[in-house]
Amino acid sequence: MRARHAVAAAATVILGLTGCNANPTAPAEPSGFAKGGTLRILSSSTEFSLDPAKSQSLAITSSGLVLRRLTTWDISPGKPPAVVPDLATDTGRTTDGGKTWTFTLKDGLTFPDGSPITTRDIKYGVERSFAPELGGGLGYHKTLLDGGEAYKGPYTGASLASIVTPDDKTITFTLKTAYGDWPWIVSMPAFSPVPKASDDPANYGKNPVPSGPYRITSYTAGAEAVLERNPAWKQETDQVRTAGPDKIIFQLGQDTTVAAQRLVADSGDDKGAFGANFVPPAQLAQAQSNPSVKDRIVTSSPGALAYLVINTRRVTDVRVRQALAYASDKRAYLVASGGELGGSPASTLITPGIPGRVAYDLYPTTDPAGDVAKAKELLTAAGQTAPKLTLLTRSDGQWSSQAQALQQGFARAGITVEIRTEEYESWFEHVTSGERDDYDLTLTSWQPDFPSANGNIAPLFASTEIGGGGFNLSRYSAPEVDQLIAAATAEVDPARSGALWAQADKRILQDVPVVPLIYTRNSFLRGSSVENFYIGEYPTYPNYLKASLKQ
Amino acid sequence: MTRVSKRLGGMILVLLIVSFLTYVVLIAAPADPALMSCGRPCTPDRLADARAFMGYDEPLIAQYVSFLTGIFTGRTFGSTAAAVECAAPCLGYSFRLGAPVTELIADRAPVTFSLAIGAAVLWLVLGVAAGTISAVKRGTLLDRAAMTLSVAAVSAPAYLVGLIGLLIFGFTLDMVPVSGYVPLTESPIDWAWHLILPWLVLALISAAVYARLTRTQLLDVLGEDFVRTARAKGLREGVVLRRHGLRNTLVPIVTYFGLDLGSLLGGAVLTERVFSMPGLGSLLIDAFGNADLPVIIGITLFSTAMIVAANAAVDLLHGVLDPRVTHVQKGIFS
Amino acid sequence: MTETAPARIWPRLRADRWAVGGATVAALLIVAAAAAPLLTSTDPYTYDLDAVSGSGVPLGTGGGIGADHWLGVEPMTGRDLFAIVLHGARTSLLVGVGATLVAVLIGVAVGATAGFAGGWWDALASRTTDVVFGFPALIFMIALSAVAPPEIPRLLIVVLVVGFFGWPPIARVVRAQTITLRHRTFVVAAVALGARPHQVLWRHILPNLLPTVLVFGTMLIPSMIGAEAALSFLGVGVPPPTPSWGRTIGDAVSWVQLDPMYLLVPGTALFAATLSFNLLGDGLRDALDPKLRELRR
Repeated sequence: MRARHAVAAAATVILGLTGCNANPTAPAEPSGFAKGGTLRILSSSTEFSLDPAKSQSLAITSSGLVLRRLTTWDISPGKPPAVVPDLATDTGRTTDGGKTWTFTLKDGLTFPDGSPITTRDIKYGVERSFAPELGGGLGYHKTLLDGGEAYKGPYTGASLASIVTPDDKTITFTLKTAYGDWPWIVSMPAFSPVPKASDDPANYGKNPVPSGPYRITSYTAGAEAVLERNPAWKQETDQVRTAGPDKIIFQLGQDTTVAAQRLVADSGDDKGAFGANFVPPAQLAQAQSNPSVKDRIVTSSPGALAYLVINTRRVTDVRVRQALAYASDKRAYLVASGGELGGSPASTLITPGIPGRVAYDLYPTTDPAGDVAKAKELLTAAGQTAPKLTLLTRSDGQWSSQAQALQQGFARAGITVEIRTEEYESWFEHVTSGERDDYDLTLTSWQPDFPSANGNIAPLFASTEIGGGGFNLSRYSAPEVDQLIAAATAEVDPARSGALWAQADKRILQDVPVVPLIYTRNSFLRGSSVENFYIGEYPTYPNYLKASLKQ
Repeated sequence: MTRVSKRLGGMILVLLIVSFLTYVVLIAAPADPALMSCGRPCTPDRLADARAFMGYDEPLIAQYVSFLTGIFTGRTFGSTAAAVECAAPCLGYSFRLGAPVTELIADRAPVTFSLAIGAAVLWLVLGVAAGTISAVKRGTLLDRAAMTLSVAAVSAPAYLVGLIGLLIFGFTLDMVPVSGYVPLTESPIDWAWHLILPWLVLALISAAVYARLTRTQLLDVLGEDFVRTARAKGLREGVVLRRHGLRNTLVPIVTYFGLDLGSLLGGAVLTERVFSMPGLGSLLIDAFGNADLPVIIGITLFSTAMIVAANAAVDLLHGVLDPRVTHVQKGIFS
Repeated sequence: MTETAPARIWPRLRADRWAVGGATVAALLIVAAAAAPLLTSTDPYTYDLDAVSGSGVPLGTGGGIGADHWLGVEPMTGRDLFAIVLHGARTSLLVGVGATLVAVLIGVAVGATAGFAGGWWDALASRTTDVVFGFPALIFMIALSAVAPPEIPRLLIVVLVVGFFGWPPIARVVRAQTITLRHRTFVVAAVALGARPHQVLWRHILPNLLPTVLVFGTMLIPSMIGAEAALSFLGVGVPPPTPSWGRTIGDAVSWVQLDPMYLLVPGTALFAATLSFNLLGDGLRDALDPKLRELRR
């Protein structure tokens, strides 16, 4: 899940490929997928590694341009996200209700040296993601695969018995328990092929063996990565990547403000560039006021959930938590997040764009600035008319101004909030390690790593996710909710699991372990010759795989 | 020779103390770099594995010893085929950036060095010239104007001047580039063009300090008996100035210059931030925001080494280092 | 220069127009900071979302200047910039004076003992002073801020860290003057009469150091104010919502094209504060050491 949100977006280099799905519905982009040209992607990140084991990148961003996986995402404007076959012929078959999953590779897939891509390469790729030396990537599969806890990667000579490759085309995964969203799991970077003979663990990320339409041809640490066409990739085997540009240059370590200013100016090479980071509020306001620039802002629909975490171990009275929900000034929070383009007020845990979401609001207020009278009433009922609470937040980005927006809102209801800021890393350890339970409130945002309600609920509210690196920051533990999560996780039928997740969503918010604040919207800027640059309903990041240049 | 070896011994001792303090203080930091290498979702077992691989499971002293020996012998993290090599001189390994810290510093140093050396030359020339003119024309309107300007200049924070400079010359007049760095090897003209505003900003403020220093020193020296004697002997003012004045003024100026340049070479944090230049200072700030402890330790040590080396060089030049306290706001905050 | 008593500094200082100007501005700043709540109609924390557009840009000219907000408002929040700047003066002065006290305490302790005791202690103390003097202080401050435990108030950390790197100049002056004093008749006499070293130091040397310490302490204040602003500018100083000029300047960087007042207002305040204290410090020094004064004019 995208816990890091604002930071992660800046820090994670996101990439994608273009495919042959030749029927785009990108608004106001009538020219189709033109081939040729050099696309520049401006990123504030100084790191660029496409090692599939270490990557947290979304399927449709940077790593997707170079690495194909068993499945991938079809992201189109105005359509819900879909999981589609990538290297595999379908999105997985299960005969035992979701405990074992089998995939078959397409014909004609090769590496650049002409050797065929086999399931053994996939198995090896997954195995190496277990090595502690290659940590840091998306690791949902590590706890799901049978025997995954004890496995430490292939470098000690061991292999993982729960992945079986009866022949070069077939691969079967055995899970500990049934898991209905497995087809989404195999769209993650670790499920891309790594030929064992080419594995150089320490440096693989700088020069991975490509399976997608591009390969890295040059890399200058912290400054630039150049991607050029991979001749072995065949358009007819790929339904999502369109591979428009001949060349893609990642310009790294770009100050987000400066990058936005360059894109606003739109001169020279910058015409064929887009920014990988959110446009800062000042440049966003500036761009909006200029009609010729306004067209080049691409804003996502509301996506990630920004929410106020209430530590249920310290704020034990549910009426106080309800009072916090009513007293939250979502209007000020929204302005601190960039105004209308920053998001829209939130009321549910499952985010818009996720299949199965049911909209509801348990704590409705007529004004997004909150219902102070109602909050005071609840506080009086709870016998705590002037609670003093500590809000722990991060010092980077807009977090501290967002915290201040809430602080002044709570003050209206007589709730005194003391803000404590910490650097991102300290904050992260503070709230996830579970060792220091000394905060009442904290702020964060969350977007699932794959578009399933599972990703909205389980990591944040299952009692197993308290401490030890888990993201249940509210320390929320309710047996009834744990049972709902277990049942929904095992359900293979999307309609039935969707209903269970929606039920869990509402049940959790009755206890108010968190206050949903806004569904954030992200804005990006593109140069005037970039086409097919859009954001789907999920995720709130642009699809790199289909971007092309006007020819 | 013994003097030189004594100085070298002193330098190494200082570096040892500083490295130990930095190491102890930073490793005790609340942030846990292993959490970042744990991946998502993270489990306690995987966290422990990551910690062990990065060497954070050892006792503190053992970690420090590994760090020190690593400088001379290099280090290896992990024991399997996937182990990470960090060749000597290894100042640690940034797992976040996937590179040895030594390599990162080597990549960024040219930017900081270009900035620092160019600015230093400018401020030395400007400052000494202005100070000399002021001293010679002491009491005149020119002198007063120069000295008043110099108080104003030392009072202005470099980053503020930089920002206002950017606003005027970059955004409004569009005369100079607003950010970035072009390597000298790629295009000397673009290199200088991108650096001109940062140079001027840094130089303007330090030049004020040097002008004041030069003037005070020069007037001090010109008041000495031997200079009066020289004048009495009928030497012309210009000759007196050259032969006695400037030469005696040189000692404290060189001293300051060495220290200022030394501290700037370790990273011009503020100027790099204002002009978005990818130097050592930016690397440090970036590392700070990501709790990249090896990088923070490495840069701190590197900049200390620069200072200590500058100190030693100055010391060797003059024997005793005893600059007068002149004005306090020196080039440290640039 | 040791004979100079405060009573003799005063008339000389009054004759220095620049120093008087500096002192006046500095005094005004101190009064304004102390009376900040009385001078502003609102505190620096209250939001005024009606003063900004839906996307957070201040409405009206000059960053929202108007009857309600004399110097405009902060983008995204609508908080009053005049209130932020005035309350920011409190932060700046608090750190400036607090850190100077820390620096003076360490500096006097190191300098006086080194100058008085001499020998190995002097050698060690002087070398340490040299090393700390040349340290990449800002880099160390950043590193230290990164690791300070969150339980300790940030403001205190900033005061201590900034003060710690400010003591070497004081130590040098104090050491040099202690050496001079040590050879003066009254000290030599006291020693001959059997006074213990700490008595001599406490009764005879320290009181005579006072004027020098006061003057050089004043000269230190502006660079301490500058250091706090620099740290806050980089985002490692005083945390929000405590108002700080440096942090506001840092926040203003990305708004500079759209709302230059947001940069210029706190920038001017910072410049005025540093300049006034610098002028005052210069004047004090010249008054203390008339020789320098003659050289200057």
